[in-house]
Amino acid sequence: MRRPGKPSPVGLAHDGGNEPGTLRSGKRRVFLTGARRRVAVHLIERLLADSDVEAILAVDRGACPPTLLGCDPERFVFASADLSRRRQVDNLFLLDRFRGKPFDTVLHLAFQGNPHGYNFKSHEYNVNAAQHLLEASLRHQVSKYIFLSSDAVYRLGPRNDYKVREDAELNLDPSAHPILRDTLDAEFICRAKMDDPGCEIMVIRPSGVFGGGVISGINLLFESNPPVLPVGFDPMVNPTTKERLSRDLMLAISLHGKGVFNVAGATIGPLSRFFEERGINPIRVPGPALRLANRLQRGLGMTRYHAGFHPKRLYFSLVLDDMKFERVFRAHARQVPSLGRGGDDTGS
Amino acid sequence: MPRLRSKRLALDMLRPLLPDSEWERVQAYPVQDVGLGTDAFGTRRELLGYAYALGYWLHRYYFRVVSSGHEHIPSEGGGVVVGNHSGVLPFDGMMVGADVFRYTEPPRLVRYMVDYFVYQMPFVGGFFRGMGQMPGTRRNFDGLVQEGHLVGIFPEGAEALAKKSEHAYELLPFSHGHVELAARHGVPVVPFGLVGAEEQQTMVADLRPLARALRLPYFPITTTFPWFGPLGLLPRPSRYFIHYGEPLRIDPGALSSIEIRRREVDRVQDVVAELVRQGQATRKQHGGAQ
Repeated sequence: MRRPGKPSPVGLAHDGGNEPGTLRSGKRRVFLTGARRRVAVHLIERLLADSDVEAILAVDRGACPPTLLGCDPERFVFASADLSRRRQVDNLFLLDRFRGKPFDTVLHLAFQGNPHGYNFKSHEYNVNAAQHLLEASLRHQVSKYIFLSSDAVYRLGPRNDYKVREDAELNLDPSAHPILRDTLDAEFICRAKMDDPGCEIMVIRPSGVFGGGVISGINLLFESNPPVLPVGFDPMVNPTTKERLSRDLMLAISLHGKGVFNVAGATIGPLSRFFEERGINPIRVPGPALRLANRLQRGLGMTRYHAGFHPKRLYFSLVLDDMKFERVFRAHARQVPSLGRGGDDTGS
Repeated sequence: MPRLRSKRLALDMLRPLLPDSEWERVQAYPVQDVGLGTDAFGTRRELLGYAYALGYWLHRYYFRVVSSGHEHIPSEGGGVVVGNHSGVLPFDGMMVGADVFRYTEPPRLVRYMVDYFVYQMPFVGGFFRGMGQMPGTRRNFDGLVQEGHLVGIFPEGAEALAKKSEHAYELLPFSHGHVELAARHGVPVVPFGLVGAEEQQTMVADLRPLARALRLPYFPITTTFPWFGPLGLLPRPSRYFIHYGEPLRIDPGALSSIEIRRREVDRVQDVVAELVRQGQATRKQHGGAQ
């Protein structure tokens, strides 16, 4: 909620009744981009089950996902738009339906994260969408803006900490994949406005996400037939699931809090143990042959995983430390009525 | 899965190296499982057991370690174990780890802050992590000490392994990190002096350009390596002498004054040098390195 009067330069969003971890007042009117993503579909279903969510505008390129076609039209609207166009983003905020009762939450999940077919238009879409959406949100007095980033922004190598916190070194390597650079650009756009007194801006960095149809690196690796790993390396990981991630996003929407947050699964372990647990037998090749083997597999349609996208991923551990999110959000899950008294706990 | 079975078989061959009573102590060592059989640092009890089996055998029969001062090792809570480093390959670290585990009750595991290059090597990095040895970063140190572990640091760095034989038992300048971190966490520094590792290999030269190309801290030329291939890296069975000193409390002023920090580092280095001298004297009494 925008406060009346002149705000002080920083930190007003956390003053008084806006203490981190407290329940946001009123009913939610959510603007969600990237609605065709599996995580988004799952989240929308969760939001619609919550009586405190008044309306949802879901935006993406293309048609509405079939599972959302039967949703209550009074509360759910799907719109197709090109978010890289400033005018189209503005128009979405000015739809008749939402002009009287503007959005109070914007959740930006739209990101062209698939290395396959990446080009300049994808770059424009990734960076411009983040910028236009944030600017429009601030102009239209949205009180919460959430950008779903990625754990790929962290620098990976033998110097990694056993648990990577939000202030760990970022991957600013100029030779990194352009999608990683886009993600960092979009993050920096958000971080540059994070001191805005009227809007709580959050950047969420999830670990790899498991779930049927989810386009995340780890999920595509596990769906490969067979997964190919480098010989002699077994990194530690703590992947999450789409169910747990959507619950975490629900908490981020419902409770006060701003800043950069890691979110991850509850189980930490070596990658090979996750394969063993699922009964998958990966094959191992010498490190220098990994990319070639991956390219061959992709050519034969045996995988959609891109080993070149985040090349060190299969060599070095990346365990996200999500204590900050735990402290500010998950510890207060009981305050969110739709998550139930037990906080609707979802393991990894 | 025949591959897994053969790996298991190779590890099982190490099991008879450890007496049953010691195997039970390893199995009783608390590894806080965070989901898939490892702790948050990646320690695997089974790997710890096999590594200790090898370490125990080397400790007892190969290097025939003579050690004293175990009463100075804290039986609980965090601490920093600091000493001299030498011997081309870090068998000294392995022997101190085995010695502390063997002579403390309940057994304590020294978790070393390891140089980063180890984690770039296939198998080796995973093996070190499985034994609870971590890359030397401040966060890793913080995490280990906060969970009450003993952290092992060689403040001379990996370069000390490449000391030439004419510089045997001369300490390189100590880095400051161990003092600063011990002061910040209010944990004691347990110094030790180790004698015997200098004699396990005779370092002739360090091929720096090759080391840089291979991203290693040094590339040793010894009297046996590379002439006898990888076998040339095997250490001579020189007897080790380890002496632990009284725990040192670090002045908290080391966090705010470079002078105090330098003084504290010098104090630790002097104590380690004195323990090394004690070790050399004990070795003379035992009739030398053999």
